Amino acid sequence: MNRSLSLLAIAITCCLILFGCRSSLKDNIVQLKVPSDPTISFAIWFKVGSQNDPTGKEGLANLTAAMLTEASTQQNSYDQILEKLYPMAASYGASVDKEMTVINGRIHRDNLDRYFELFTQAILSPAFKPEDFERLKSNTVNYLEKTLRYANDEALGKEVLYQAIFKGTPYGHPEAGLIESVRSITLEDVKNFYQTYFTRDNVVIGLAGGFDDKLVRRLKRALSKLPPGAPVPIAKPSPLPIEGRQVILVEKDTRSSAISIGFPIDVVRGEDDFYALWLANSWFGEHRNSSSHLYQVIREARGMNYGDYSYIECFPNGWARQFPAPNAGRRQQIFEIWIRPVQTDAAHFALRAALRELQKLIDHGMTQQDFDLTKKFLKKYYLHYAPTTSLRLGYKLDDQFYGIEDHLKKFPEMLDRLTLDDVNAAIKRHLQYQNMKIVIVTNNAPALQQALISDAPSPMKYATPKPKEVLEEDREIERYPLTIKPENVAIVKVADLFMR
Amino acid sequence: MKLVLTSALLLLLLNGAAPATPPDQSNGIFPYTYHQQVLDNGLKVIVIPMESRGIVAYYSVVRTGSRDEYEPGHSGFAHFFEHMMFRGTKKYPGSVYDQLITEMGADANAYTSDDLTCYHLNFASEDLEKVMELESDRFQNLYYEEQAFKTEAGAVHGEYLKSLSSPWFLLSEKLMDTAFDVHTYKHTTIGFRQDIEAMPTMYEYSQSFFHRYYRPENVVLLIVGDVEPSKTIELVKKYYGDWKPGYVPPQIPVEPEQQGERTASVTYSGQTLPILCVAYKSLAFDPQSKTMAACVLLGNLAFGETSDIYKKLVLTEQRVQNIAADFNSARDPQLLTIWTMIKREDDIDNVKNEIYQTIEHFKQHLVSEQKLADLKSRLKYSFLMGLETPDDVAGQLARYIALTGGIEAVDQLYATYDQVTPADILDAANKLLVQQKRTVVVLKGGQK
Repeated sequence: MNRSLSLLAIAITCCLILFGCRSSLKDNIVQLKVPSDPTISFAIWFKVGSQNDPTGKEGLANLTAAMLTEASTQQNSYDQILEKLYPMAASYGASVDKEMTVINGRIHRDNLDRYFELFTQAILSPAFKPEDFERLKSNTVNYLEKTLRYANDEALGKEVLYQAIFKGTPYGHPEAGLIESVRSITLEDVKNFYQTYFTRDNVVIGLAGGFDDKLVRRLKRALSKLPPGAPVPIAKPSPLPIEGRQVILVEKDTRSSAISIGFPIDVVRGEDDFYALWLANSWFGEHRNSSSHLYQVIREARGMNYGDYSYIECFPNGWARQFPAPNAGRRQQIFEIWIRPVQTDAAHFALRAALRELQKLIDHGMTQQDFDLTKKFLKKYYLHYAPTTSLRLGYKLDDQFYGIEDHLKKFPEMLDRLTLDDVNAAIKRHLQYQNMKIVIVTNNAPALQQALISDAPSPMKYATPKPKEVLEEDREIERYPLTIKPENVAIVKVADLFMR
Repeated sequence: MKLVLTSALLLLLLNGAAPATPPDQSNGIFPYTYHQQVLDNGLKVIVIPMESRGIVAYYSVVRTGSRDEYEPGHSGFAHFFEHMMFRGTKKYPGSVYDQLITEMGADANAYTSDDLTCYHLNFASEDLEKVMELESDRFQNLYYEEQAFKTEAGAVHGEYLKSLSSPWFLLSEKLMDTAFDVHTYKHTTIGFRQDIEAMPTMYEYSQSFFHRYYRPENVVLLIVGDVEPSKTIELVKKYYGDWKPGYVPPQIPVEPEQQGERTASVTYSGQTLPILCVAYKSLAFDPQSKTMAACVLLGNLAFGETSDIYKKLVLTEQRVQNIAADFNSARDPQLLTIWTMIKREDDIDNVKNEIYQTIEHFKQHLVSEQKLADLKSRLKYSFLMGLETPDDVAGQLARYIALTGGIEAVDQLYATYDQVTPADILDAANKLLVQQKRTVVVLKGGQK
């Protein structure tokens, strides 16, 4: 450790002592005390997610959580709840992912008592009123039918990619559900789902900020009123093996082409290889950062689009966030490349450029120089992952999900231990470039289908001059063999997506 | 707000000593002590120490945004120029700048809106001086070749393309274009499509843009987190002291008073629920204007989550998916907007009438004292709960800096909110929400 990093570590340790941060794990409670924080964060994690949606009722977990946090309780109608939360500038909400549902809330300590009642009532005594149900169901159908299909090509491409990779598994549908399935959900379905999964044997309580032990006891006492019952665990999803490069072209009226590429990987947070792969991925495609190699090749040198990134953990709402949100723990992850929209006639070239870079990474590994720089980068960059008390609480819950002591503490320690050989070996073990799903949202599907199958050169035409070395490399990119079999390119119409 | 005016005497006292207690404290809402100084060249620096686990937020707020694009054919240029600022200098070319920022593990980015361009970094406090050296260098010595300039225009075009699929983008483009005749708020921050496509040809203009707007008198440095104020200000003098003034204010046309209602419609190529936007011309931002403050409160009371119209249309009758209002002001008079996503196309006119009836109600009836008190409480807690990290604090303050040149406006604005009475709200509704200053835009989906 060099001097500056030692100083940083000392500074952080001092701050932790100064703030009196203490995290402990007893029973099913995760605590993070930060006495200097004038707010208190709640995170009530139920071990349920969209993977628990029954077949034909996809979207049930999401709708059930919404019926807790965006609807009436037995004590108050929803408009009364909004009235009561209003002067406190407070709210609560649910985040529903494949495996985790977390009811989150945050309040200034001035207003704790009033808020506590409303927050716990939402979890303990939802009213399940038909009018709330109809409103939330209608909003969900509108989201799937219109917003997800039409309003953001990048979100659309990512969702179709996940669906393609996890087809036939409990991960194989959007958390919001499928249109026909959501329409078929009844209020009775919601009540039964709540009784089965929102139980005192299926919950982890998270508390963080400026609270005292009295609040811990009070919250435990309140949530012990949840119904009993431990749901049957669901097996980890087993996505089908992918043979070759399989392309889905989503035909849509759009002026550009958004590209998502991915395949399953057998590594999750906490495992040694995860940290090695995290470093490799940071160099290759750090999210929304110009240090990303893909970004340098596609955006910086060629000006083809707004950005190019890659992932080894899911990153929900990546177009709206700089750092990943916690509480999207998954036992099965994918390696994902995200090429932001390029002009349609450049889609073929952009795909080649990305896959060629992936092949170079796997065949040749990282250089010592890139390894050293990325390690240095991550040793400080990780400090931005969880700057707030509520985010740190979120990470603590994820630690429980993955069965690790403290990811944010382990992260820099693992970086210190990593060698270039570790990283290059992890790349070889977990990444490959032959078998993958590729999704392109485009208005030119038949022509692109032909181009991809023919594998003919796809020269890049620039509106502005480019340096000689870029043009020379382009000659190689435009001929990079994609070797996609004709039967592996499917065209789907956007209006046919997410139906059932 | 607690202000420390850093004088030479105070600096002497502070050197090597424990931080002095601020001599001048008031009872404003802003909870942190701040220190500020204006350098001889006009650069203002504001330093706000706060406990932050060793992290510093460093914001360079340029008081230039798409509002300043008054020359025809140059819409979107402030945002484009934001991209060029990452292309480096002769001393630290873009690739070297990127490498140094990467080595620091800094979270660095920038954004542009109507009234500002903001460059922001979050990093470990030990890197403060290096960041200051890099930032002061690019603000004074930016250098890029024409070829790099043209390539970056491609990235901006890509950013435009990614926004196009959103119906909200299309709606806001149509709204601004319809509501304004001559003021630069007529175009959105990303700019008109034809101007974006012509950007690669504007290399020389970009130099002029830099020399006119990227000057110390037009920039405020905001540094928040684990920093020592007097040392930080000394560093600012060291690195920014030689920056030459020379700001040339833009010749922004004054929008004539709107004399009649305007309407427009726009078709979105995909599927969407129809969106209705009703807008009225606003006042320029002035934290001491009771009418302006009353207007912000009015938007919340009339169309917020606890309003009667929200209860009726969203919760009870469920005819709209959502309804909300944004009655905040910009540097020049802009728009107060109410928007709603309606479930059925044949209900658009009815919903519009519900909005008009709500406005009429607020013109004729005083709001209850309790509702007003609840809202004031909400604004206060909302502001305070949003100040958790250095980046939160700097991010909230940047807009006030863009609008007024400083952060005194925060305390002033919240003090003005406190003074607003139900009669002020009724008065604001009658002054501003009038038909002749109204613009109504409807967006409908193209595919059924």
